[in-house]
Amino acid sequence: MSTSTEAAAWSGGRRLTPADVRAVRFGRSSVFHPGYDDTEVDRFLDRVGEELARLHAEKAELRDRVHDLQARVEGATRREAPSAQAVGILAAAQQTADQYVAEAEALSRVMTTEAREHYEEQVRQAREKVGAMIQAAQEAAARIAGQDAGAPAAGAGADPRAAELQEQVVYLQAFSQACRTQLRSYLEALLDDVEREWGAAHPDAVPAAPARSRTPRTQPASGSSAAGSSAVTAARREEPATVEAAAVLLSEDSLRPDVPNGPAEGAARPTR
Amino acid sequence: MDVPAMRANFAKAAAAGDEAPLWFYAHLFLSHPETRQLFPVSMAHQRDRLFAALGEVVARVDDLDSLVPILRQLGQDHRKFGTVAAHYPAVGASLLATLEHFDDDWDDRLAADWTAAYELVASVMVEAAEEMADQPPWWDAEVVAHERRTVDTAVLWLRPKDPLPYPPGASVSLETELRPRLWRYYSPANAERPDGELEIHARARPGGPVSTALVRQVVVGDVLRLGPPVDHLRFDPDSDRDLLLVAGGTGLAPLKAIVDHVARNGPARRVDLFVGARLEDSLYDREDLARLEQQHPWLTVTVAVSEDEHSSLTHGDVGEVVARSGPWTSREAYVAGPTAMVDDTVERLLRHGLPRDRIRTEVFAPSRPGPDVDGKVTT
Repeated sequence: MSTSTEAAAWSGGRRLTPADVRAVRFGRSSVFHPGYDDTEVDRFLDRVGEELARLHAEKAELRDRVHDLQARVEGATRREAPSAQAVGILAAAQQTADQYVAEAEALSRVMTTEAREHYEEQVRQAREKVGAMIQAAQEAAARIAGQDAGAPAAGAGADPRAAELQEQVVYLQAFSQACRTQLRSYLEALLDDVEREWGAAHPDAVPAAPARSRTPRTQPASGSSAAGSSAVTAARREEPATVEAAAVLLSEDSLRPDVPNGPAEGAARPTR
Repeated sequence: MDVPAMRANFAKAAAAGDEAPLWFYAHLFLSHPETRQLFPVSMAHQRDRLFAALGEVVARVDDLDSLVPILRQLGQDHRKFGTVAAHYPAVGASLLATLEHFDDDWDDRLAADWTAAYELVASVMVEAAEEMADQPPWWDAEVVAHERRTVDTAVLWLRPKDPLPYPPGASVSLETELRPRLWRYYSPANAERPDGELEIHARARPGGPVSTALVRQVVVGDVLRLGPPVDHLRFDPDSDRDLLLVAGGTGLAPLKAIVDHVARNGPARRVDLFVGARLEDSLYDREDLARLEQQHPWLTVTVAVSEDEHSSLTHGDVGEVVARSGPWTSREAYVAGPTAMVDDTVERLLRHGLPRDRIRTEVFAPSRPGPDVDGKVTT
């Protein structure tokens, strides 16, 4: 069995298979056995064949493993569908969070609604209170003014708005002070006249004299007649009663007769 | 496509109530975590909306003529949420997984039908969104003024960075970073101005996350996001009929925009504006209304209070005040405000002989998620 063709086949690039190695036969160069020992060559070739077979098997196994791993890597990039358990956990977490948000919103709704109602109630009460105070002040002013025919009429209907209220309160304060001052001046002037002329005084004849108003005030009705004195004291006693309602608006100081009330005098002094 | 089978399948998921959308969103966020940031912290309203919209689609899946406009609107509306074409397959996969999860009889045919249907829906939406590519998905707008007018009302002036054209009386959706991913509709109270600024009237609703933030937390310099305008009131700028405008609460805003439009662009027409409030204190824009009335001889403003016995203003529900100030039969009427006020006013106007087709309304409900256009998903 010559091997020249087979040797040529190897050199032709065909892959050497274990069978090739096993099948190879070497020729003898001479009758005297100058070549390799047949047995050793054959034994060696067997071992080569075994080795190659082992390597091929190993290679095939490795290739399979590579394919397997490659397939796994590709599968991983293709996003695995989330497990039902994971979906359930996230859903429960979301639901819990939503409940907390809803509860917080509901709480804030209740609190703001209550705060709003409270606020509106406070504003309403304050308005009512202010309205009552204004009315009381107006009534008081009207009563005081009523005692002096020359005093201008009290302010028109109350407007509940706060800014206007403030203005009105200030006006009424000034007005009631002016009324009292005027009344006092008149009474004091009357007293003077009574002292001088024994009741012959006529209101029209009495000049409104603030300069005079202060001096006799410290000792009202001193040395006056019984009639004059009683009239004056009655008027003075009456004053706190008439302005009783107005007292809520007017401070204690402004009611005391010895407190100077210059600006009020200037602001609302009657013309007569 | 086996439409009855698809409907039967969808009905099974819908029957699971909140469970189905809950499952859907959990699946979506787990498989595509990047989509979570497109949604608000609380998903409760979102879930209702999703299945309402899906139900709409399923109901009309064999009536493309009515379905396509809805889908186009949906697609365009989703731009402001930051939705891009790449999100659609993710939603589709989770939708299919949900429909499968809630149906024991799920099979390959259903899967194929739903896949085909979803691809169609997505392609219409994506296409409609892409047609709007020349318009920004949203407008950044800086707060240039913020005035607290009453204990719970503020007037804001916004200046969009890019021009935002809108018809008078329209509304725009709005989002603040303070309440991410919560969009609410507000009507500018002015017609489009050369400088592009918008006047926004915000009333803090008790528990309302966006409105309270707008009134109490937003400050000058903040940047809000505005969505594309939606014209719900449908003001007709070409008509020259005299106008009757009836506002309740912040429903004043779109009507003030109409007054502004008439003032800026004409044509000359008489305008009677009635503004109703519960208490005199809650009338937040009287100064400006007085100024407008003084500037424009064609404008008459009447303010009425319904529950304020101390007020010297006209008393009564604004609808009643309007009705007794008539006749209005020749007018074109626009009514905006809370549901009860709008219903009452419309009913009275109809009774007084104003034809229905000349009354247009916009309801300003608390936490208004958006105009109730069919199947429209907002927020």
